[in-house]
Amino acid sequence: MAILEVKHIEKHFGSTKVLNDISFSLEKGQALSIIGSSGSGKTTLLRCLNFLERPDGGVICVNGRVIFDAEDKTTQSDKEIRKKRLHFGLVFQNFNLFPQYTALENVTLARELMAKEHGSESKAAIREEGLTLLKQMGLADRANHYPHQLSGGQQQRVAIARALAMKPDILCFDEPTSALDPELTGEVLRVIRELAKQKTTMIIVTHEMAFARDVADQVIFMDDGVIVEQGDPRQVIEHPAQERTRQFLARYSQEE
Amino acid sequence: MLLDVTLSLLEGFGVTVQMFVLTLVFALPLGLIISFGSMSRFAPLRRLIQGFVWIVRGSPLMLQVLIIFYGPGLLFGLPLLPRFTAALLAFVINYACYFSEIYRGGIQSVPRGQYEAGQVLGMTKPQIFFKITLLQVIKRIIPPMGNEWITLVKDTALVRVISVYEIIWMGESYIKKGMIWPLFYTMVFYLAFNGILTIFFGWLEKKMDYFK
Ligand SMILES: Nc1ncnc2c1ncn2[C@@H]1O[C@H](COP(=O)(O)OP(=O)(O)OP(=O)(O)O)[C@@H](O)[C@H]1O
Ligand SMILES: [Mg+2]
Repeated sequence: MAILEVKHIEKHFGSTKVLNDISFSLEKGQALSIIGSSGSGKTTLLRCLNFLERPDGGVICVNGRVIFDAEDKTTQSDKEIRKKRLHFGLVFQNFNLFPQYTALENVTLARELMAKEHGSESKAAIREEGLTLLKQMGLADRANHYPHQLSGGQQQRVAIARALAMKPDILCFDEPTSALDPELTGEVLRVIRELAKQKTTMIIVTHEMAFARDVADQVIFMDDGVIVEQGDPRQVIEHPAQERTRQFLARYSQEE
Repeated sequence: MLLDVTLSLLEGFGVTVQMFVLTLVFALPLGLIISFGSMSRFAPLRRLIQGFVWIVRGSPLMLQVLIIFYGPGLLFGLPLLPRFTAALLAFVINYACYFSEIYRGGIQSVPRGQYEAGQVLGMTKPQIFFKITLLQVIKRIIPPMGNEWITLVKDTALVRVISVYEIIWMGESYIKKGMIWPLFYTMVFYLAFNGILTIFFGWLEKKMDYFK
């Protein structure tokens, strides 16, 4: 059974339709890449999944359970949403680390607050786990650094650890490397590749075509708020069926 | 003579300090309330508050002191407020408006992404406010607050327009006796007070230096 099913998602901003009838599903342990030109609605889609935007239409199911239904107001109260958004994690384009906390504190803060509410875990255990995550990101020696003392690539890796700390079912990345200097993208992509190897369920919006092709089990090409083409990465990126996909990819290879 | 002058200046300085402290005690929280109003999603309230703040910030504090002291009596036949109270009221309103703009600037300077990062990690609104944004706001408002407090120290001299006897008034009373040095002497008090404030705010800024 699919871990995530997205059915007929719609989103308007005023009179402009930004997402139109978006449907796809994702199996546990798989990685999905979303590609598409600027303004096609990729960020908006991730923001809908993380409830930073509320879709105007459609249904989102996780593990076969409806967690959001635009028709059903009971799925939309603040309290419900706060619980349900934890199915998803989000790594932002520009990291959004908390500047007043160290790398480790960034990773553990939300878990500690959660534990305070439910009294489930000890602070020491959370800390231990945070250190393990940072180590996994290759940042063991940076645990006590503040964000401004870290490079962009390191900050983004802390942000990934921070998202993983909440144990999301599905981890979303919104162009995780596009705010980075070219020489720093490699370290972040490597970490995401590693996560894919460990069968982390992921949705990755990216402009790195080679990366999308290699790491993803499935690719979606979006244009103008609709899914134009989806399927096997090699198929979509190397032998696109649709003219719009071909044009997009052609423009891309020119730029590179 | 020096002792005499010192004592009478100290008396005036007491009024100055009281004015300063009481203005802060009331204007700091009131300013926060006004800043929330000026950021309200309810447009009529927001416009009303912003208009009020614009008027208060755009006109002289001295005028406001005079209006609050004489206004109620001349307009509505109400009894006069005690002089000190009237001056304090004008100061509180005036400074609350300035503080509200400082708070607003501080709050709005925290990037949207900070709230969103907290939200996607499942934090509640109060958790996001207290654990994430508050300290960032405080860090950003320290420098403008420092300037405003120092201005307030000097502004207290204005209360003399309704005959509240602050330190300069005391110093000036010696002019009749042909003595100018007590006036210079008052300056020492101001400089010492503002020197302490400058050191205090410098220390606060340093404390917040560990993050950017
Ligand atoms: N809050 C908003 N209000 C109004 N319009 C918005 C808002 N957010 C996004 N849009 C519009 O929605 C469309 C899709 O934006 P979105 O950010 O999802 O695109 P994107 O595919 O992520 O683009 P990019 O590759 O540049 O990141 C754009 O036309 C954008 O202007
Ligand atoms: Mg985007």
